[in-house]
Amino acid sequence: MATIASPEVDIDHDIQGSPLELPDFSAESYKDAYSRINAIVIEGEKEAYDNYISIGNLIPENAAELKKLAVMEMKHMRGFTACGKNLGVKADMPFAKKFFSKLHGNFQEAFSKGNITTCLLIQAILIEAFAISAYNVYIRVADPFAKKITEGVVKDEYLHLNYGQEWLKANLDTCKEELIQANKENLPLIKSMLDQVATDAEILHMDKEELMEEFMIAYQDSLVEMGLDNRQIARMALAAVV
Amino acid sequence: MFGLIGHSTSFNDAKRKALELGYDHIAEGDLDVWCTAPPQLVEHVKVVSATGKTIEGAYIDSCFVPEMLSRFKTARRKVLNAMELAQKKGINITALGGFTSIIFENFNLLQNKQVRNTTLQWERFTTGNTHTAWVICQQLEINAPKIGIDLKKARVAVVGATGDIGSAVCRWLSNRTGVAEILLVARQKQPLIDLQKELGGGSINTLEDALSNADVVIWVASMPRTLEIDSSKLQNPCLMIDGGYPKNLDEKFSGNGIHVLKGGIVEFFKDIGWSMMELAEMEKPQREMFACFAEAMLLEFENCHTNFSWGRNNITLEKMDFIGNASLRHGFSAVGLNPNIQAAVV
Repeated sequence: MATIASPEVDIDHDIQGSPLELPDFSAESYKDAYSRINAIVIEGEKEAYDNYISIGNLIPENAAELKKLAVMEMKHMRGFTACGKNLGVKADMPFAKKFFSKLHGNFQEAFSKGNITTCLLIQAILIEAFAISAYNVYIRVADPFAKKITEGVVKDEYLHLNYGQEWLKANLDTCKEELIQANKENLPLIKSMLDQVATDAEILHMDKEELMEEFMIAYQDSLVEMGLDNRQIARMALAAVV
Repeated sequence: MFGLIGHSTSFNDAKRKALELGYDHIAEGDLDVWCTAPPQLVEHVKVVSATGKTIEGAYIDSCFVPEMLSRFKTARRKVLNAMELAQKKGINITALGGFTSIIFENFNLLQNKQVRNTTLQWERFTTGNTHTAWVICQQLEINAPKIGIDLKKARVAVVGATGDIGSAVCRWLSNRTGVAEILLVARQKQPLIDLQKELGGGSINTLEDALSNADVVIWVASMPRTLEIDSSKLQNPCLMIDGGYPKNLDEKFSGNGIHVLKGGIVEFFKDIGWSMMELAEMEKPQREMFACFAEAMLLEFENCHTNFSWGRNNITLEKMDFIGNASLRHGFSAVGLNPNIQAAVV
């Protein structure tokens, strides 16, 4: 076993390097990467607005609450648009649309079939957990303007995750099978989306390993809250690995 | 509720255990997958004290493995995430086991109080070092005479003397045991001089000199794998108490009057219905555990919900007395050289 005194463990050096170094926000390479990451966030929030309104149509008794969640997403979208402007970056929206297209397509298909469980898993669990993880990592390396906005957003997103969790928890007996199937189809998409932005994220000093871990933590927490046991969660998480 | 944060002793062990527990997704993954794996609350356990008091606890595996030590950011995240999970589960007092407390201390994690939307409350955690130090001292006092070492005449070397556990052991040796001489060994000179001053005694030694002169060697520093020691230069008999982590001393020494004892391990007076100590390669996994883990149980038994062992060089003799008395009262004993010479229980 390695020990703390092993030659490969250079503690002194590590400690010196430990405060997170902020990137140069004015560098062209930073702005270039930001144009895509920022667009993804803006598009994500916009689609979230649409998706919550759609889900409201499927669960009319919750439509008012879902409208409130949707409105929050719109506010986030405006906030993140301001973050881009503040850095003088034009968001690459065509890239973002393409980035979300498969997941968006899966949501639309589930919506057209009235599959509430799949819609909630995609929007209220997977996308929210993805957003929370990315925002949590981003907050540590964001410019001061964006940091403040993102801190506000992430608090709201936990509420959104909570909405989906609570509904799925209350309906777990009847929706588990669909949940597992939807997970199987959509979790790999999240993984590949993460892979697609890894290089850009790295330029923003967001580490891919950390992003994935944050996502898995948020996702696992959410599945635990719904009442799934460790083995079921393990089987579901397997879809992200293979 | 008490908590224990632990980890496997190697990547291969971790994979094997994950498979047994049904965590197929990480069992089949490579090290990169493990680096992204969330901490897992793997087991709930009930423990009944020798006094009859019942407490509940949970074992959290941080999904850290020693192979991650060279990845500073990963190791830091594993520890903080496991601590966050413990706090989120409402655990009152959690011990940081194995490398967890070492990483916390050496990677200076005190500056990382905020983990996502959780502000870590340090008072919910303990390094368990006070109990570990007390247990090591017990192991010395009980076992040295059994192999013919008279403590009044003995030279006792403490390797890693200036660390949290090491300095506590030195304080105890100096004030409570009447050993003939304490040989102080550590990498940095100035803390050694400070410690010597505080103790009002003890001699500063190189590792080589200490090893050839000591009747008892207490290791509370991890030994570099590359260290080679000539067994023929050691005293005979010689008691080696392996209080470091990982415990790798018996690979280096054996026989010829050299007795190696696993330091800082305790045995509970009856079986505990858990499976997690198999991970830590305990000889009697249903009863044996790291003393640092037992400290969390003791603090829960005593309703002492505070970061009892925290920071460096804060372990006083009074604290060692408190935790030692609690240890005996609730049914723990220090593991001895062999099952026949273990400390009497209660």
